[in-house]
Amino acid sequence: MNKTQYIGEHLWVGQLGNAFVVLSLVAALMAAVGYYFYSKEELTSDWKKFARLSFSIHSFSVIGIAATLFYMLFNHFYEYAYVWQHSNNSMPMQYIMSCFWEGQEGSFLLWSFWNVVLGNILRKTIDAKWEAPTMAIFALVQVFLASMLLGIYIGDYKLGTNPFILLRENPDFANLPFVQMENYLAKLDGRGLNPLLMNYWMTIHPPTLFLGFSSTLVPFVFAIAGLWKRDFTTWQKPALTWTFFSIMILGTGILMGGAWAYEALSFGGFWAWDPVENSSLVPWLVMVGAGHVMIINKNRGGSLFMTHLLAIASFLLVLYSTFLTRSGILGNSSVHAFTDLGMQAQLVIYVLTFVLICVVLLIHDKLIRVSYLMISFLMLFAGVMFGHKITLLLIWLALSFVITIYSYIKFFPKEEEEESLFSREFWMFVGSLVFLLSSLVITYFTSIPVLNKLFSLEKAPIKVADYNMWQTPFAIVVLLLVAVTQYLKYKKTNLKQFLKHISLAGALSVVFGLSAAIPLYFLKDYSTSSTTDKWNLISYALLFISALFAVFCNLDYWMRILKGRMKHAGASIAHIGFALILLGALISTSKKQTISQNTSQKNVASLGENFSAKKSLVLTIGDTLPMGNYLVTYKGKERKGIDVFFNMDYFTKDKDGKLVKAFELSPMVQDNPRMGQASNPDTKHFLSNDIYTHITYADLSDAKAVKADAYKEPTNYVGHMRDTIFADNAIILIDSITTNLTEEQYSKNDSMLVVTAVLKAIDINGKTYRATPKYILKNNTVLPDEFELNELGLKFIFWKINPNEGSIEIQMSEKVNNTKEFVVLEAYMFPFINVLWLGCLVMIVGTTVAIIERRRVNKLKAQ
Amino acid sequence: MKKIHILGIIVIAVAIGVIFTSLQSSATYSDFAEATANPDIEYHVVGKLNKTIPVQYDPKINADECSFMMVDNKGIEKKVVLHKSVPQDFQKSEQIVLIGKMQGNEFHANEILMKCPSKYNDGKPQV
Repeated sequence: MNKTQYIGEHLWVGQLGNAFVVLSLVAALMAAVGYYFYSKEELTSDWKKFARLSFSIHSFSVIGIAATLFYMLFNHFYEYAYVWQHSNNSMPMQYIMSCFWEGQEGSFLLWSFWNVVLGNILRKTIDAKWEAPTMAIFALVQVFLASMLLGIYIGDYKLGTNPFILLRENPDFANLPFVQMENYLAKLDGRGLNPLLMNYWMTIHPPTLFLGFSSTLVPFVFAIAGLWKRDFTTWQKPALTWTFFSIMILGTGILMGGAWAYEALSFGGFWAWDPVENSSLVPWLVMVGAGHVMIINKNRGGSLFMTHLLAIASFLLVLYSTFLTRSGILGNSSVHAFTDLGMQAQLVIYVLTFVLICVVLLIHDKLIRVSYLMISFLMLFAGVMFGHKITLLLIWLALSFVITIYSYIKFFPKEEEEESLFSREFWMFVGSLVFLLSSLVITYFTSIPVLNKLFSLEKAPIKVADYNMWQTPFAIVVLLLVAVTQYLKYKKTNLKQFLKHISLAGALSVVFGLSAAIPLYFLKDYSTSSTTDKWNLISYALLFISALFAVFCNLDYWMRILKGRMKHAGASIAHIGFALILLGALISTSKKQTISQNTSQKNVASLGENFSAKKSLVLTIGDTLPMGNYLVTYKGKERKGIDVFFNMDYFTKDKDGKLVKAFELSPMVQDNPRMGQASNPDTKHFLSNDIYTHITYADLSDAKAVKADAYKEPTNYVGHMRDTIFADNAIILIDSITTNLTEEQYSKNDSMLVVTAVLKAIDINGKTYRATPKYILKNNTVLPDEFELNELGLKFIFWKINPNEGSIEIQMSEKVNNTKEFVVLEAYMFPFINVLWLGCLVMIVGTTVAIIERRRVNKLKAQ
Repeated sequence: MKKIHILGIIVIAVAIGVIFTSLQSSATYSDFAEATANPDIEYHVVGKLNKTIPVQYDPKINADECSFMMVDNKGIEKKVVLHKSVPQDFQKSEQIVLIGKMQGNEFHANEILMKCPSKYNDGKPQV
């Protein structure tokens, strides 16, 4: 067989990339093995050198893979499927970065890259004692991540998905006709980045979020190393700085996602409890819990099981969320829903392996450990060979759970002394427990599609309102704890002094809280609400007061107890930020106002209260309609590339009642050839509220392409006498029909037959016009004739008579500008959403202060 | 009994409470037959838009209402009144999920979720 010689391919790049992929996998494996043996021997051994060298080779190859992929993207090597799929020639430089992580392969690579960065920092900064066990686990994680990029077949099973696969070898594209030509590269342009993602968010959000995901790995490897070496305390001090870092960076990533959704997507808010959002929030919540129990451990000892549990759970939940979002199992329930690249089994194995490792290390009994391992492998084998995978998985999970509980009771050290009820550690512990519980509830809700699959259920996804309802009580408890706990002392607190300390902030928040919450939630809405809504309103008010309480208490603590010094204020500042985030989220969500009320005449009350929430406003060009405190005018649309902008002016009334232009908004609809239409909102930001507008329905066709006075395509009407025809600007009545000859006369001589239809056109003002299109027949041929009614921009052709039916047929054309352009839009007012964004910044500052302080203290102690 | 045990019991109680109430209250995926049988219960009905019959949407009359025909997974076709503006790219939808109740012979939906072949899917070549 003659093989086609393809022209202009750069095959060496892909080969180089693949070499790096294989090298990174092998080196990670060698590092894991090396560190394993190093951890078993004395500190100065050859294994140490071997392991370190292997990890360096691994780091070098991961950077090599990334560099190769960048090189391909920069040089537009479309012979590679990944490059062709995600970039094109016209793409500006800054988006090449975004192409890199648009696809799954690239995002795994980004994750792996951050791990390598953090791994090297960890290795350089860690105590000699902990290097081997932590880095062994670290390298093992890298083995799994590296295998995600492998893309080789083992039998029928594809392991990983490779970014260096050629376009003509990718099964999805290999059948495209142009790929069969030997010079297919000559004119080939890539498909380009999804235009929805062409904004700066796509440049900054994924790297931050993935750094956040990576950062959860460090506390995890410390905790595992602790279990492994049965040293449950000394790892916690170095891990605490990393935990704070993780809280800071993962939190930033999540909030950036929220800001992106709010600014550029048409969710109508910043948080939609989307599975993808949830699966980054859950590890964060658990990490915050982990950080707090680690602080307890540092200051007073104890809480050992919780520190291990939470530090481990956070990373496992990152893995689980990777499984959720990358396996395609979410299907319809997420807007993100990545494509299923056939990695479901691989991702499940990945998650389960690390669960297995945790359980095995927890068992401190050789016999049980070996039996558990044997049973696990037998079950895996049985699953692969004989099926029943789901049943086996459930049994295995139950078994692992039971063994975990047993091992905890039997092998895990427990504190003798019980915490006093009025101690800081007790309530911090309770707070962490609440975080854990909240994250379990979110995980359970998000996992509904997984549960459907496991138990063959048909449950629909949980609604946003239910998420809010369930999370509000957790938020209230957490905020109360955030407020008061730091006034408690470790071990034992003088209750009187405690109450004295919190009394000022308490009084302030009750006074301010009630005076704000009563008008917000009770004056207008409460009496007319249903029982559920009443309960919601009460919980909003409680949340409001507790958020204020948390802010005041922490401010007070910072100012009075810490005397305003920055050094130890990290916690207080971060707590203030956290409380402000919840406060802003509460006000802007619960008091979100739909200002685009439907102005249609149709009576909607008859449809029942469920359907009375009208949201859309129809705005015709040139019209000015009231919307909230504004009057809004639609000025027209403007096309820039594939983006169609709809320009609106917002007016307010001044003192004399004259209209003054307040601002302009241009919500956009992207007429995206690959993705279809996508609506992009536009928002005017004020200090105290945001005006958010987005288009739900509009005609995107280019008005300028067709001349305004051109006629549109004619429409044919079949009509009897006295029938009416509807034009956009008039009603037309078929009034009468006259002829110049009788049928008899026509058949006798050969002259022309002229039938005239007399049409009466009545315009919207009630003015009547006459139109007389003629049907002309000569020598049995219809002569074309048209009647133009210039005043109304209408054109008629009377072209057919159906004597048997007694009907005539008329074609009518209307001028383009007879139809006035309009848009349908939704607009919301988000009050005090800036409190939320301010809270984000404050929390980031607070955690950063805490990290700096931790590092300073650790350095001092080391000296 | 230690305080930690009381905490444990509270945690387990809340967990059971969440699972129990959510299993009771949460809607299930269903079809038109079941929705017709229980007009008071809200259902998520999965199906396909009948693209041969035009979608009715006249914003000048009611911008928050459109109607169309949908065939559910069991093959039953019903008129659907969606109390929203017509979704973007509705004609391109592959599968739709409606959330609502049956009213007479019409299904009245408050929410719609669409699955489009092109949206967020880069795996397949587009012609």
